[in-house]
Order: sequence, then structure tokens, then C-alpha cells
Amino acid sequence: MPMELLHDLKVSHPQDTRARQDFVSALRGYVLNDMAAGMKQRYQQAVAPALAQRLGRPAATQDDVHDAMKGDLFFKFYSSVRYNAQEMVWRSVVPGIEAALPEMQARAVAVQDRAGGTLTLDPALDLPENVTEIDVHLMPGVHAAPDTPAAGAIYDNGLAVFSAGFMGRELNDIGMSMANYIAKKFPDFRPADILDAGCTVGHNTLAWAQTYPGARVTGIDVASSVLRYAHARAGSLGIAAHFHQMDATSLAFPDASFDVVFSSMFLHEMSVKDIKRFFAEAHRVLRPGGLLVNMELPPNQALEPYDQFYLDWDCYYNAEPYYRAFRDQDYPLLTRAGGFAAEDYLQFTVPQYTYMEDSAFAEAVHRPATIDGETGRLSASLQWFGFGAWKR
Amino acid sequence: MSVLPLDAAGKRPAFFDEPGMDQLVSMMLELAAELWVVKERVFVLESVLGQQGMAARDAVEAYVPTPEEQQTLAAMRATMTAQLFRTLARDHRPVNT
Repeated sequence: MPMELLHDLKVSHPQDTRARQDFVSALRGYVLNDMAAGMKQRYQQAVAPALAQRLGRPAATQDDVHDAMKGDLFFKFYSSVRYNAQEMVWRSVVPGIEAALPEMQARAVAVQDRAGGTLTLDPALDLPENVTEIDVHLMPGVHAAPDTPAAGAIYDNGLAVFSAGFMGRELNDIGMSMANYIAKKFPDFRPADILDAGCTVGHNTLAWAQTYPGARVTGIDVASSVLRYAHARAGSLGIAAHFHQMDATSLAFPDASFDVVFSSMFLHEMSVKDIKRFFAEAHRVLRPGGLLVNMELPPNQALEPYDQFYLDWDCYYNAEPYYRAFRDQDYPLLTRAGGFAAEDYLQFTVPQYTYMEDSAFAEAVHRPATIDGETGRLSASLQWFGFGAWKR
Repeated sequence: MSVLPLDAAGKRPAFFDEPGMDQLVSMMLELAAELWVVKERVFVLESVLGQQGMAARDAVEAYVPTPEEQQTLAAMRATMTAQLFRTLARDHRPVNT
């Protein structure tokens, strides 16, 4: 079932549309759990042995696996159904948003200032190519109505369907899990200024404000529409946050102005060159003792070839062109390229905070990071992956 | 006129070698979605009727169509089946009959 949005920008979709969203969400759940499990079994039992015989060795890389799987009928149906489900996610929400847009704008204006948050747009900002040239994860309409909250609404409503129950009741499980990991793992660390880079509608930005009451929380993104939505959404939820239209590779903040620089599901949307520029900027704006922390997909080098291939499906078929190049990186080296010291590197996996008791989560943060085929993957046994570095 | 596009930019990938298979999967999933929409609507309709004192779900379960209705349903099913297999049917009977 899609998550019902719990704030004033919620769109009232007609009953038939809600039923369609139910279907799409269930279809995604089926693809990501049942079909994915079937596909892995099919690989292990049939495809891998045939591949090993043909190559004279087991599959060594995800390209070996991908090449072999391309000819497999199960993979074709898995991919085809998953691709269609992705398109159907957006198609199930766009018409309702279009119809509701004038009224939504009025509601946004009415609620946006309720919590004391601010919105600072920069109409002169040059939008980077990874935003202007690609409809990332097949989401249409990012630039269709930049002076409205439309793209934010498409993302929020789409995620409610897309997440198929994997991202929490308020679609903020990533932010809540990461912020609570830091809070529980490092109880003496008390950040006062927190930055979320590439924040979109602020799902995960606000989690930091909830975890660290009293901290000043700032979110940046290059797209004005998602920020308009983020600002109004935060106002509606009664959480103060400050949103700026800004490029993470060129921050307008002074040196040493944050204690945490956070990102989630962000690095894999950028070129490696831009990730390094972002990390250098993060290093610059962090105070000594501050923390860069990114929620991301796990690195390919930690995974078996099949699991690498499985996660990089998005790169090949879901308009995520930078995904694999990022995941092929050595993450500690990336943070070093930004100016962080090798010994200050940090990485971890966490279970889903909003799905468990706080006390059980507090115990879980002390377990060592274990990366496997389930890490970062939307499935029943999901664990989020995080990495970053402390600034000296 | 609509402002927000429904389709993402870029070319759709082809997963199947046979021309048309990818489109067929899309059509099949759209049909499945529409079928679900109808099923959910019927369910809701029965619930709404039930709340208003008409035990529609039970009545539907217990309902026995009259002989006349059975004939009508049989004709509807035959039409639907013929439409479903109309392209196959072209191969074993003259097109213009």
C-alpha cells in the first residue's frame, strides 16, 4: 500500500487512482521481493553454472553476470515488469497533482511559515547537467513548473507509492536511521548546525531536526520546485528548517559553519568529479570535530558479482547513469580526495529505525558493519549503509 | 492543456528480442492495473452498500441468476472470449466473415 502523506500538501486522489497506486505499490513489492529472490535462485541454479562452463571459470565481474543474465527469460520479465512499474509509479500520481496544483500552491503559502523555517531561492543558479539532461529514475516533470511545488509533489507522492513500505510511515526512515545512528553511537557529539545536501523535499532533512532538537538544520538542492515543496512541508509538520537553492559542489556558506554535512541517496546522482568537489566543500564548511556522513548504496568491491549486478540494475535501466561509476569507487579514497584523513574514515550499516524499538536500535548501532547482498537494497531484510569522515 | 509530462525523457529499453514483446508487457500490466481498479471498486461498492443496510456481498454470493440472465451471461462470455482470441481466429477463418 502507498503511504498516506501526513501533511497539508497531501493530494486527494480519486478512489480509482488510489486503487491504481495500491496496485503499483504491490507490484513493486512483488518485483523487489519475490521476483528478485526467484531471479537470484535462477542465476545460482542455471545461469551461473552455464556461465562458468562457457568461461572456464566462475563469473568474476558484474559484467559477466549481466551479459549472461541478458539472455535469460526470467531476467527479461523481471526487468520489463520493474521498468514498467517505475513508469507506473509516476503516472499514478501526476494527473492528480496537476489537478490539485493551484489549490496546493495556496495551501503551501498558508502553511510554509508556521514553524519559523525559511526558503532562499537563487534564480541565477546554473543547474548542473545531471539535473537538466536526465529524468533521473524516470521521474518526469522536474522542470515543468519550477515556480510551483509540482516537482516536489511528484517526488513525495511518487515515493509514497515507490517505497512499497520500505521507507517508513513518513518516508523519512533513511534520515531517522542515519541521524539516530550518529546520536546513539556518538552520544558526546552534539551538533549545532546541520546541512543536508541534495535534500529534495526534506524527508530526511527534518529527521535531523527531530533527532537533535535545538540544532539549526539547513537543506540545499539545485531545484527550486522541490525546495518550495520542502519549505511548505516542513511548515506544515511544524519543524523549522532552512532551505537554500544551492549547488553542493559550490557552497555559498562560510568556512567552518556546520557540525554535520549529510547527504542521502545523493552521491550516486553525480559524477565522481562532482562528488570529490562536494566532499572538498563539505570539508571546508565543516568545523573541526565535524562529521561528513552519507547514506548510500554499498560499494561494489564489498559485494559478490551477482549482488553488484543486481544493485546496478538501476544504472542500466532506470536512468541512473552515474550510479555504477560511483559504486565502483573506493569510498575511503573519495573522502580523502575531499581532504579528510584516512584514519578519520567511518562506515556502518544500520537497521531501519522507524520499524523498531528505540532500545533495540540503540543496541544495533554497536554491531560491526556487515555488508552483504541485502545492504541498501529495498527488500524485507533491508539495512541502510552509511559512510563519511570526521574533520580534524 | 497539461503542464506536467507523464513520460520521462529518453528511449525506453528493449528487454526482449522479439519485436513488440516489451510493449505487450506494458499493455498487460496496464490491463492488470485497470482490472485491480475495478476489483477494488466493486469491493468498496459492496462495502458501501453493506453500510447502508444492503448486504450486497452476501446477496451477491447467494445470488442465482434466472435462466434468462444465464443466457445473457453466456452470450457475454462468448463475446468476450471471441474478442480475446480474435487475432488467432483470423488465422483459421476467412477475414471477412
